[in-house]
Formats: sequence, structure tokens, C-alpha cells
Amino acid sequence: MSLYKTAVEKPVSTILVFIGLVVMGLFSYTKLAVDLMPEIETTQISIITAYPGASASDVETNVTRLIEDVLNQVENLKKIESQSKENMSLVTIELEYGSDIDVATNDVRDKLDMIVSQLPDEVESPTIFKFSSDMIPVVIYSATATESVNSLYKILDEKVANPLNRVSGVGTVSVTGAPKRQVQVNVNPAKIEAYNIGIEQIANVIRQENLNTPAGSFDIGTQTYALRIEGEFKESSELNDIVVGSYEGKTIFLKDVATVFDHIEERVQESYTNGVKGATIVVQKQAGANTVSIANKVTAMMPELQKTLPPDVKLVQVMDTSEFIDSSINSLIDTVLYAFVFVVLVVFLFLGRWRATFIIILTIPISLISAFAYLAITGGTLNIISLSSLSIAIGMVVDDAIVVLENVTTHIEKGSAPKSAAIYATNEVAISVVASTLTIVAVFLPLTMVTGLAGVLFKQLGWMVTIVCTVSTIVALTLTPMLCSQMLRMHTSKNKWFDLLYGPVARALDALDRGYASLLNLSVRHRFISSFVCFIIFVLSLVVTKNLKTEFMPASDNDRIGITIEMPAGIRMEIARDKAAEITSLFKEKYPEIDVTSYSVGQADSENAYASMQNNGTGLVTFTITCHPLAARTRTIFEISDLMREDLALMPELYKVKVQPGGSGGGPASSSGSFVDVEIFGHDLATTDRVAAELKKRLEENIKGLTDVQIDRKDYQAEYQVELDREKLALHELSSATVSSFVRNRINGAFASKFREDGDEYDIVVRYDLAHRQSIEDIENIIVYTNKGKGIRLRELGKVVEKFSLPQIDRQDRERIVRVSGLVSGAALSEVVAGVNEQIALAEIPSEIGTKIGGSFVDQQESFGELAILMILLVLLVYIVMATQFESFTYPFIIMFSIPFGFGGVLLALWIVGKPLDLMAMIGMVTLIGIVVKNGIVLIDYITLNRERGMSIRKAVVDGGKSRLRPVLMTTLTTVLGMIPMAVGTGQGSEMWQTMGIAIIGGLTFSTIITLILVPALYSIFGRNGVVRQRKKFAKKFANVGK
Amino acid sequence: MKAIFIPFNQSYRDQVVEILERNDSRGFTFMDDIQGRGTKKGEPHFGTHAWPTLNSAIIAMVADEKVDNILAAIKALDQQTEKLGLHAFVWNIEKMV
Repeated sequence: MSLYKTAVEKPVSTILVFIGLVVMGLFSYTKLAVDLMPEIETTQISIITAYPGASASDVETNVTRLIEDVLNQVENLKKIESQSKENMSLVTIELEYGSDIDVATNDVRDKLDMIVSQLPDEVESPTIFKFSSDMIPVVIYSATATESVNSLYKILDEKVANPLNRVSGVGTVSVTGAPKRQVQVNVNPAKIEAYNIGIEQIANVIRQENLNTPAGSFDIGTQTYALRIEGEFKESSELNDIVVGSYEGKTIFLKDVATVFDHIEERVQESYTNGVKGATIVVQKQAGANTVSIANKVTAMMPELQKTLPPDVKLVQVMDTSEFIDSSINSLIDTVLYAFVFVVLVVFLFLGRWRATFIIILTIPISLISAFAYLAITGGTLNIISLSSLSIAIGMVVDDAIVVLENVTTHIEKGSAPKSAAIYATNEVAISVVASTLTIVAVFLPLTMVTGLAGVLFKQLGWMVTIVCTVSTIVALTLTPMLCSQMLRMHTSKNKWFDLLYGPVARALDALDRGYASLLNLSVRHRFISSFVCFIIFVLSLVVTKNLKTEFMPASDNDRIGITIEMPAGIRMEIARDKAAEITSLFKEKYPEIDVTSYSVGQADSENAYASMQNNGTGLVTFTITCHPLAARTRTIFEISDLMREDLALMPELYKVKVQPGGSGGGPASSSGSFVDVEIFGHDLATTDRVAAELKKRLEENIKGLTDVQIDRKDYQAEYQVELDREKLALHELSSATVSSFVRNRINGAFASKFREDGDEYDIVVRYDLAHRQSIEDIENIIVYTNKGKGIRLRELGKVVEKFSLPQIDRQDRERIVRVSGLVSGAALSEVVAGVNEQIALAEIPSEIGTKIGGSFVDQQESFGELAILMILLVLLVYIVMATQFESFTYPFIIMFSIPFGFGGVLLALWIVGKPLDLMAMIGMVTLIGIVVKNGIVLIDYITLNRERGMSIRKAVVDGGKSRLRPVLMTTLTTVLGMIPMAVGTGQGSEMWQTMGIAIIGGLTFSTIITLILVPALYSIFGRNGVVRQRKKFAKKFANVGK
Repeated sequence: MKAIFIPFNQSYRDQVVEILERNDSRGFTFMDDIQGRGTKKGEPHFGTHAWPTLNSAIIAMVADEKVDNILAAIKALDQQTEKLGLHAFVWNIEKMV
């Protein structure tokens, strides 16, 4: 018993099975999370190693290089990058996509263990950090305060950060820009020198005094008592009264030599929102958690949290990445719904019957909804890729049902009873329906096996379309015949009004059939000429689009602009802060589109992981500007950014400016635009500096589409170095290490102990009073004590000199690197890259210096390269499926001609609308391979059928073409019209999928028109050759017969 | 006793069986998925790519007086839907056990 027979004979079960499927799908839909892109696996591991007191080049030689060398052996390694900064080494390894990050992390840990003993003693043990694009903040709040500003950190940490940390999925909540409380012991050097006490001694005393010690337990009578000594300070003022030493028999208290301040930290990063000082609360999600749901939970909690805060503390949302995701996904859902409406209209137009239209349309919701069940099971999300897949599939799922319904209708018109017609008619077309689905699956299933970044995008696309199309085939073979048997009638009652309305449409379609038949007659008669004309059209389409620009990912307007300005190195934070305030008020006035401006300035606290991974420094200001939603403004963020760039260019005091529409940060699939990096490799800093400067100048002057050209190497910073005289050190039995720690304790401060209050801990830091660390003399006057207790001034041990040094050394793949990078704006990536290459060739570059182009360009090359291989593979697979279906080598070959025309159409369409060829358009091209051959299959299938029924080649071709015109047009139109809402793309984020819609529409339209002429013409050429060959064979075999 | 051989397009199955039953002829032999082609106009029923339809056939042994009724009904059915293809052939039965 066959599937369709069972279905027709058991209508109740059939209906219920599908209702069950739909209910399951809808249930899954309610469970689905929303995200922008499918989850991109983490492939980066960072190793942070602290080497206190070391300069950038020391860190490079002693730590970074060792770590790089050992990590170079990690499996699946793609790239090693490193930054050697003062006190810190950051090595980041990037693995190939798809490698198991946990295995790699263990591997890294093992490898690091091997070299830990080789690292210098002062180096702290390396920490391993799994970094991923998930680290982009989900929401950023800014807190402003007036009276409570000094206790802001504590308030925010307790009342906001802690509750938010408990939200499931939240990774970290970090509070930046709020100063932390610190107990400072500011020592007067003159006094301690007089008493012969060192800072170390004071710190040591504090440490010893601030202790609670359990002294054990002892028995008194029948009881056991615990014995404790409580020395911990209860008040910070208690510090004043501790005894730090004695001098000539007198006790010296701390208050005699120092002042104790219970205050806030000295050097902190400050942040401002709309010009008001406050703190920034950054919420990051855990790897794999859902952005939208976290953002919703956090936003929902905020009013509650606000109530617990002091009245002067105000929380303002600066950024919410989920808003953009939400509105993008909603506008994509709209396009899917529009596509549905279009498909319904097309089907009705061609069939002209309500019942038939209903039967066919029913396939769409059933197959699409079943895809939600797949997403829910695999933990997928509603994202751009999964919804685009639905949009692609929506036009294809009706195809099978149309074929089945058409054949059932033919049988009924011949006189079969609907029930038996449904069974036998389905039986007749079942094989070709399955075969055409196999062609689609042959294209989409291999997509699930692609690796790399493209693989992440393709995986869901592949599965979604495969599943949707398979379900649609099952529906077409069960539900459709069942409904046909129940709903179709042998004699349809004709409605006068309906005839009046639909009559013209029917006549137009008939005229179209006739017109096509005569055109086909012409083309078959002049088959060589028409093939040649098609070929010429193809070549022309390639010639015209020769200069088509390429791009990786289109940038989209997400309401955010990130700006980084840098003042000359070493400038004080206060000056940068004033400049930032000036810029804020200027922008506020000039751009009414701006909703919130927030910026942070100054050196980040090393304990704050988020802030210290970002670029920070005393003269550096980072702005995050949020504009009103796209609908509420006329200028896009790109236009605004361009204007801002002009404004900032007028300020000569800004040393470096970077304006990034879309905001900074983001993974490879983020919408932050395209970068071109020229990577310059070479060990000698001076040479690479010169080359970088030359290239920067050349790129700025000669390439139009490149803005914000910058050299990423930090500026040499003026600094004072203490040059110690080793001979003198030896004389006093001192080592460089001892002396440096003395200097450090006095200037940076010695960390004495922790002051505990209400369960919180605050650092107690002992150092020179601010007034005594403001000149070179102050440093030269520092007294260093020898082992014998003799005090010697620093100036006797060496001299303080001014020098320049590089604060950070960057390396990539174990070589020093400088990047000259620019933001592509107003030109396509390919064009800019060509220009950059030209400039590199012209520049004077010594032979030992290597150059390479990186940035988005590398990603683009990789992905496009993989796609090209993928396409060849898919074409081969499709050929195999078709060849087995037709049991012929020739016919599939003829059908394959529609593929190049499809690609030609894609290029032509993009060229007409002036869009570059980007990754999404490439995805469209890949899917086209499966879609365009369908038309050819339908045509050739029917033509061979006519031939088998004994028609001559020309009659078979013309008749077959005429009778298949409607199905071809219908399936093409459903797909094309289904894509139109995507291609028109008016909603937020539509830039991202627009090109895909345009590509599919252009490719399919162009290839269908050409296929309708070329495939019949080619068939008659090949068919005739076959007939001629057979006749010759026959003649040879029977040459002697009848003579 | 006469034998009626009725080859028909598969979709006639239910109607043909019904005609026989209306005429009190319960017994028959049914053959499914058979191929055939009409002498003059009829389309081939080969179950192939070119001619995908298939025939079935029934051989029924009926009482002499029923034969005309049955043939008349079959003719009426055939005339309703000529394109499908339906025939009936009658011959004598010599003996049976």
C-alpha cells in the first residue's frame, strides 16, 4: 500500500497528523529565542600574563615570545597575535572555525605549564581567557549622580551589578568610571627620613596590625572557650594611632609622619553621559546565552533597581543591542508574510480556482512551521539566516503540490472520480516530484558541511531549506491528494461574476501560451542562431558587470556611532576630558538625531577585564553615541559619521580620530563596516615606522574610498628612566630589583593591607604625599636603605633621564607588526584593495620588511574562496542527481546551461541597482544553483515524454514548451515574488539581506527567460544529432539488407 | 453462464465492482497494474514515463440474463468519460467445478 493511497483512504488520520505537526511547530515557535545571527563559535583564546614593572620590550622578550613559541604548536592554529604592554602580555590565538575550544584550551594550559618555569620569577602565572564575539556588551547603562558620586561604585556594585549578575545568562556586569574607595596613607618623606623609617616598614606595620588571629581553644572548668585576638581596624581613623617605630626612645605614631585619607582612588577612568559625570554599567552575556532575552530581563529589572538607589542616582540606557536585533527580525518576519501573500496571489492567478489555491497554499504554513520544530530541537534561534531560509523556501514549497494538483485535475477532467484520480495521478508524478526535491536537497544539504565563517551561516540555511522542502514533498504526496479527493469536483459550477473577473486573465494566459509556442517554433527552426544569441547575451552580461564591486558584509544602520579620539601621548586626563565635553556639546547642537552621548576617558583599572581589553589611556576618549531610531530621522548614521569626521578634522589638537558608524567592537559578522589593513612585518621598529608612515601618507592622498587611515602602533611616549650605576649598587650591596621596588613603593604606593567594613574590602595604600612626588628632584631624593640599614639617596645610585619608549609592541604570527588600517567608505572593498596594492608596490619598502593585506578583505577572500569550491561541488552533485533521473548524460548537460545564466543575471541585477556583490548575494547565488535547474528539468522532462510518445523533435519541443510554460512561470514567479519584499527591504537592518533578494530575483528571472529559449533550442540540436547518429548506425547494420 | 472480461483504467475500479454487485454478480477475479493499449483511439496504459497510467481488469462469471444489463451499464459509464478507456468482452463458459 502506497503512501498516497493510505492518505487518501484515511483522511482523518492524515489531517490529524499534519495538525499535530503544526501544533508542535507553533509550540516550538513560542520557545524560540531571537538573535541576529546563528551562534558563531568562539575560536579565540587569550592568555594574559602580568609582569609587574617590566617595559613593553622586556615583556616581549621574556614573556610574550616564550608563550608564542610554545603555543605555536597548538592544533588547528590559524593565527597568533600578541600585545606586549608595560606590565602585561596579552597573547591571543585564533583557531580554525569548528575546532573544539575546550580541547584547545586544555592544550594551551598544558603547553603553558611546560614553560612556566622558564619565565622570570616576578611573572605571575598566565590566565587563560576564552574570548568570543559574545563579549560585546548586551546592554550598557550609565549612572549619574550628584551627592553620592564618591560612593557611587559601592552603590552600583551592590544595588545594581549584584542583582543583575543573578539574571540567568548574564556573564559579567562591570562598573566602570566609578571611583573605588581607597584608604591612602600619604607619607611625608622629610619626616620619615628624619625618623629613619622606610615606607616598607610602615606598610609592614599596618599589615601586622590589621589582623584577626584565632589563638586556639582552651578549657575553663566544664566549658571550652575559643581564644581570639582581634587586631583588625574598625575605623580607618584607627590607622592614625598605630605605632610605626621609635626614635630616641620616643614612640612614633603614624599620624606623626603621614596623613590618612579615607578617600577614592587617584587615577581612574571617568565616564560621562550627556555631559554628566557618572559610571558605566556594562552587562555582558555568557557564551551562547541569548542577547534579546537577557536584555529584556535586564530592562525589566531596571525600574525595580532604580527604586533601591538614592534619589540623586539616575540610570540611563546608553546601548541596547537587542533593540536592533528585535526590529531587524520583526522586519524580516514581515517580509516572509508579504512573500506568503504574493505566492497566494500568483497561485490563484494561474489556477483561477479557490479550492485548488487553498489546497496548494496549505503546504506553505505546514512546511514552514515544521522548520520551527527543527530550530527548537537543535537549539537554533530565529535569526537573519533562518528567516531568510524561510523566505527562500516559501516559493519552492508550493512547487510539488502544484505538480500533483495539476495532474489530479487532468485526471478528473478526463473523467476519473476525484478519489481514484487523486491516488493514480499522484502515483504518476510521485517519482518526478521526489527527484526535483532531491535536486534541491543536493544543493542545500552539502551546505551544512561547509566549515569556516561561511559554514556558520550556511549550516542553518542548508538544514532549514532541506527540511522545509522535504516536508513540502511529503505534504504534496499525502495531504494534497487527500484534499484533492475531498475538495475537487468533477464539474465545477461556473459563477458568472467570477468568469467576468477571471476571464481576461485566462485569455491573457492563453495568449501567452500561444505567443510562446510561436516564439519556440522560431527558435527551434533557427536553433543555432538562437543558441548563439543567448551566448552573446551571456557574454554581454559579464562584460557589462566586469567592474562590479565586491564587499564582505553590508554595513547596516543600527543607530550607533562609535568615536575614538586620541590626544598626543602623555597628555593629562583632565585636558582630554575637557575636549570631550566640548565635542559633546558641539554634536548635541549640530545633530538633533543624537539621543544619548556617553564617553569614557582615562586609564582603565587593571581589575576591570572589560575596560582593560578596550583601548584606554590618559589622553584617549571613547564615545558611544546613540541616535534616535531610523524611522525618526532622515540622515543615516553613515551620513552623520561623515559630517562628524569633518567636524573633528577641524580640531588640530586631536592626534588621532576614528569614527565608526555602527559602533566599535563586534565579531566577524557584525555590521561595523569594512576595514582594510596593511600589515607590515619587521623586527626593526624604526624601519617599520618609516614604512608605515609612508604608506599612511600614500593611502590618504591617493585612495578616495578610504577614511580614517591610521597606524595602529602606539606613539613613543616620553618617560623618565632611572639609570642605575651598577658599580655603585655593588658598592652598597644593593640590586636593581631592590632599588626599583623602593622607588615603586614610594611613587606608585605600597599595598599594605585591606581595610574591612560591612563585608567590603578596601585597599590600604602607603606612599609619598602627592606634594612630594611631582618633580625629578623628588625622585632623586628617594632614600634607599641598604641591608645594613644605611640610607642612600637615589641620585647617588644613578640618574633620572628623559627617554622615549614604545608603550606597546604588537606581534602577529611571531613577528613584530604594524598595521596601517583604514575604513572603507563610499567605495567597494575590492576597489580599495586594488588601490592599496598599487600603493604598496610604489612605496619604498626594504626587502626584509614583509607586507600583507588583512582586515575584512582576508575574511572576504577566505569566504569567497570556499564558496567558489562549494559551488563547483554543488554543480557536480546537481548534475549527478539529474543524470540519474534522466538516465542520460546529455539532458542534464543541457539543463546545466541555465546555471551560468543565473549567475549572469545576479551580476546584472546587482549592477543595475548599484549594489556590491557581498556574502549574502553569494549565498543567493549558491541557492540559485538548485532553483534555476528546476525549470530546465520541468521542460526537458516533458519534451522527452513527448518524444517517447512518438512525436517528432520539433513537435515535442514546441508542444512540451507550450504545455510547461505555465508551471515554469508559476514556480518562477512564486520564488521571485517571494523574494521581492526582501529585495525592496525598507525595515531596520534590511541592508543585510537586501542583496540576497536582489541576487535571487535577478538570477532567476534572467535564467528563466533564457532557459525558455535556450534549453529547447539546445535540445533540438542534441536531439537531432542523436537521431542522425542512430539512423547511421541502423543504416550500417542493415546496409546489406534488401540489396 | 458467461465470462465477462472487463479491462479498464485503474480509476474505474470502484464503479465496475459496483455495477457487478448491482447485478447480483458477486464473484470476480481482479487483476491490478496491468498494461494495455486500445485498438484505435485509446491511449496506451503502460505505467512508463511517457504513458504513466495503468489498467486493471476484472474477469467475472455471470448468469446469462445479467450480461446485457452489465454491458449496458458499462457502456453508459464508458460514454460518460470516454478518455479513460473501458471495455468488456463476453464469451461462453463450457464447464465449471
